[in-house]
Amino acid sequence: MRPQPPATTPAVVTSSPSDGSGGPGESAGPAGSAGQWGLAVAVGLLLAAVGLRPVLAEQFARPAVANWATIFVAIAVQAMPFLALGVVVSGAIAAFVPPSLVGRLMPRRAVVAVPAAALAGAALPGCECGSIPVARRLMSRGVAPSAALTFLLAAPAINPVVLVSTAVAFPGQPVMVLARFLAGSGTAVLVGLLWAGLGDDRLLARAMRAEPESGSSRLAVFAATARGDLLSAGGFLVIGAAAAATLQTAVPRDAVDAFASSPVLAVLALAALAVLLSICSEADAFVAAGLRQFSLTARLVFLVVGPMVDLKLVALHAGTFGRRFALRFAPLTLVCAIAVGSLVGWWLL
Amino acid sequence: MSPEAGSTTVLLVGALLIRLVLTGDYLRYVRGGMGPWLVAAGALLVVLGVTGLVAAVRRRADVPVAVAGAGPGDPGGDGDGDGDGGGGGHDGHDDDSGGHDGHGGGGDHDGHGHGSQRVGWLLLAPVLALLLVTPPALGSFGVDRTAPGVRISSGGALFRPLAAGAEPVPLTLLEFGERAGDRSGASFGPARVRLTGFVAVPADGEGVRLARYQIACCAADAVATVVRVVGLPGATPARDTWLTVVGTYRGTGPDGVPELTVVDAERIPPPVDPYET
Repeated sequence: MRPQPPATTPAVVTSSPSDGSGGPGESAGPAGSAGQWGLAVAVGLLLAAVGLRPVLAEQFARPAVANWATIFVAIAVQAMPFLALGVVVSGAIAAFVPPSLVGRLMPRRAVVAVPAAALAGAALPGCECGSIPVARRLMSRGVAPSAALTFLLAAPAINPVVLVSTAVAFPGQPVMVLARFLAGSGTAVLVGLLWAGLGDDRLLARAMRAEPESGSSRLAVFAATARGDLLSAGGFLVIGAAAAATLQTAVPRDAVDAFASSPVLAVLALAALAVLLSICSEADAFVAAGLRQFSLTARLVFLVVGPMVDLKLVALHAGTFGRRFALRFAPLTLVCAIAVGSLVGWWLL
Repeated sequence: MSPEAGSTTVLLVGALLIRLVLTGDYLRYVRGGMGPWLVAAGALLVVLGVTGLVAAVRRRADVPVAVAGAGPGDPGGDGDGDGDGGGGGHDGHDDDSGGHDGHGGGGDHDGHGHGSQRVGWLLLAPVLALLLVTPPALGSFGVDRTAPGVRISSGGALFRPLAAGAEPVPLTLLEFGERAGDRSGASFGPARVRLTGFVAVPADGEGVRLARYQIACCAADAVATVVRVVGLPGATPARDTWLTVVGTYRGTGPDGVPELTVVDAERIPPPVDPYET
């Protein structure tokens, strides 16, 4: 998984342009031997892992390592159903939604398209991992990047499941649900409009590239897209899960308690905590409810930042849209989320 | 990642998700309600993996000598390189071959071609971790590192008094803690309660500190609730031993931890669902 040097020329030239099954992939002959290298390495890794099992078991018996491994596996496992839903939607868009339809349905002007995308996001039940492949597919179908990014932020922040779980976690405080909805959709719209005005869509060129018509059956396109999205998003999810597990294990959660007494520092501390913990947006309200040494506004900021910017998401964004995009998008979103969250908290809570 | 490797990875992940639910091990990582969703996602991944493998094998059969000159820039045979040397070519969309992005960022590719989801190999990390060691449920290590689980708000609903019958009343540690916070534990009355948890601190003040995690979604959002049990018979149990204790509410310790006077205790194997939800 080391970085590969850029290929100066495409090394493989297909001699059968009529191949329409989504790509010839590994074929017989020399390419086949390259494929077998991969297989050999995989088998070698597997054998080494089995051989090292006693050593591994000993390491995992240490409480800190076991704690890390449990959280790592837990984040990966709990995200899988949501990721599966996301890649199914993404595959369906790729296979069944012609770009021309998107062009007709989506409003041209960002001022209209961005709020519309926020509303569309509110209808997709799921957490943040699933909305990334969908947003990327929308871009490749011709949806304006600003609107697709708004969808990306809004879907995990304000969908019905998240709002209901917030209501359950804060019994007797329905204003928290309203505040979360307003701050989440407000941040998504603000970031979308800022991107429409100031953003550089060239950073998203990769995601915006329309897939060429391959001539494959729609079902084959669906399956290939879903599988490909799952592999790339799943791989970056693993990176994010490892980072989040490391921080959860290394930094005690009460380390942020010292900041609880100052209103400003409390907001910043919980924003940082949301980034580091990388909790699923359907569960973060329960954690926020437990942070009761902090003000309600600080906890609202926690709930607004978490579904939009966290370690796992930054890894996923970098992988899906490109590293340079993620380096700009994450700070922009973080600042907007803190500002809008604080404003709504000051107004309502 | 070659289509074969990618499809196999997807198949493996899917099969493992189903296996996790069948063995019940998934309860160490996520809440029980997610079981059906994990099975559904696993089944979908298995189907995607199998169809991908079938398609790849069929392509291999259909295109006997179609490819000339394999990715030569991959002498290291780094397993994933095969998806890359020919990143453009593999896609079979000749119009923009080579222009694909494998060079810059994460090296993934619009999921349409299977050529270069190199990062997909990482999905094998949790697979291996689960197959080789199956990490345990959260234990005493993290108890003091999470925010407390008990939430008390003034003006909330009051607990009804417990029935003081012959049988002890089973309570979660969370409810025990909440009742302790409600009017200084007035709702307990003389009733005996039964609690189940693991030993977090063997020598804690006058007793032993029991703990149990509550999870809302997965182990990453776990918060621990603790109870101090006083008067445990026999030798002090080791950390992470699971106990079921019966006793009466004793009051709240100087550190704010609610306490239980033990009348009966039993060591038990770890419960199937180690968390309270």
